[in-house]
Amino acid sequence: MNYELVSGFETHVELATATKIFCGCSTKFGASPNTHCCPVCTGQPGALPVLNKKVVEFAIRAGLATHCKINTTTHLDRKNYCYPDLPKAYQISQFDKPLCEHGYVELESGKKIRLTRIHIEEDAGKLVHERGYTFIDYNRGGVPLIEIVSEPDISSPEEAREYVEKLQLIMRYIGVSDCKMQEGSMRCDVNISLRPEGSKELGTRTEIKNMNSVSFIEKAMAYEAGRQAEILSSGGKIEQATLRFDENTGETYVMRTKEDAQDYRYFPEPDLLTVKIPQQKVEEIASALPELPLEKFRRYTDVLGISVQNARLLYRYKAVCDFFDRCVLLGAGAKNTSNLILGTIYSTLSTEEEKEAFDIRVSAEDMAELVRYVDGGKINITLAQMTLSKMLKVGGKVSDYISEADLAGISEGELEELCREAVAANPKAAEDYKSGKLKAIGGLFGYIKRATQGKADIKKAEEIIIRLLGNDK
Amino acid sequence: MAESQREQKISKEQFRALARLSRLSFSEEEEEQFIAGFEEMITFCDGINSEIEGDASSIREVDAREIALGDLRADEVVPSLPNEKILSNVHGERGYFAVKRVVK
Repeated sequence: MNYELVSGFETHVELATATKIFCGCSTKFGASPNTHCCPVCTGQPGALPVLNKKVVEFAIRAGLATHCKINTTTHLDRKNYCYPDLPKAYQISQFDKPLCEHGYVELESGKKIRLTRIHIEEDAGKLVHERGYTFIDYNRGGVPLIEIVSEPDISSPEEAREYVEKLQLIMRYIGVSDCKMQEGSMRCDVNISLRPEGSKELGTRTEIKNMNSVSFIEKAMAYEAGRQAEILSSGGKIEQATLRFDENTGETYVMRTKEDAQDYRYFPEPDLLTVKIPQQKVEEIASALPELPLEKFRRYTDVLGISVQNARLLYRYKAVCDFFDRCVLLGAGAKNTSNLILGTIYSTLSTEEEKEAFDIRVSAEDMAELVRYVDGGKINITLAQMTLSKMLKVGGKVSDYISEADLAGISEGELEELCREAVAANPKAAEDYKSGKLKAIGGLFGYIKRATQGKADIKKAEEIIIRLLGNDK
Repeated sequence: MAESQREQKISKEQFRALARLSRLSFSEEEEEQFIAGFEEMITFCDGINSEIEGDASSIREVDAREIALGDLRADEVVPSLPNEKILSNVHGERGYFAVKRVVK
């Protein structure tokens, strides 16, 4: 029997606020253990939480960017569980009245992955298990999170990858999180079940906890789907369980079964008041949203005429898009700009992080100037690439590298004269070409390139040489 | 006796579930004592409810008291406590809280 994969995601995203959700401690990553702590975030008796306004605003922004309805009356709830990562023995979260509901994330294909809800909550502390001890760092405790819960609309590991990457991009575009999976500022719990192809009923699901890499998510889903298919095919039943993915073996293993499922005994948080959000504020946040990733992608392909492949390579990095958009705004042609970014600039940025940061020595103004010269036919793309490479290495302005003489270019007459010289200096190549060895023309181009230091328009030179050699059929 | 059993406010199963969630274990005798104590507490709270005059629902309403978004705390960092102070009442090591290992 063929099975289809049914998957839903719970994604935790750390919000990029300066302070924690309920106290004024810093959220900065990488500090010495327990140095960003106070009585509130270490759960000392009598300490009272005070909600951070920016957390609510950021969560609303995230909700609006994912087409959610915003609940303008919302409250927080206590989720009780006993584990040392939570000093209060409860997490302040949201249960029955989440801030955002009923949204979606659209994939490139147009398919919409529906979002059930987005709620705000506090992160837990970090545990390190060593020797006979568990060491606890509460710096992360109280860092604001949003939890984004999707409907089970994801049907393949590839869709899962796109969904996670889209979410990541949206959050980065709207500036609410850096979504660095390797630093844990974005983590996913993946629910997976199988059902016979065409069936509408949902099968028993398992949940893989705390995935912090897109490629591991893909691998874990493929493995888990295979494992479930094997059980079902042999007449077995899937046991509802929480799993962990072992990155070394590529396999999932059981953390706890339904029997051990937690009973969180949620109740409304008595230490915090219900928050009332003016509708006007929601509208204000909505109108300040920037162009979202998919809108940008479609503008690049449909309006600017960039190929789908190139547009994909551009829009996945916000800083690159900001640079590209600024160049285009300054009058640079979109195609030449994107070609130079993807070819010359990307070749100097080897990692994803480097592309994300896009910390280069060339300003959008200089880049636009360079591209305008190419667009206007004043310099050819090769010279532009060479110039850009130098600018990326040592900085400086376009005028430091391109002279008036370069910009004056090579006139048609000069080029024809050069072509004649090239033919005269390379009689064998010319003869070979005439006799049908068309590749021999390359030798003539070499002469012209050397003579003009790469400035000549080789396409034009080719036309002239073909005319001169009388082989223009 | 049969009647009072029907009115029991907390069952042995409920008590054991709570004990498990709280990572606590009790002897049979302790269970009996605690269940009786819980019964008293719940009866006391029920008593308060019935003493409240008029409609108690508004008091229990979660959203009865609100705060406007604009009145929430501004996102401004205030100094945290020194690490020594945070760890002053616990067993600490290298700046961490140290507890008996919680996973095997």
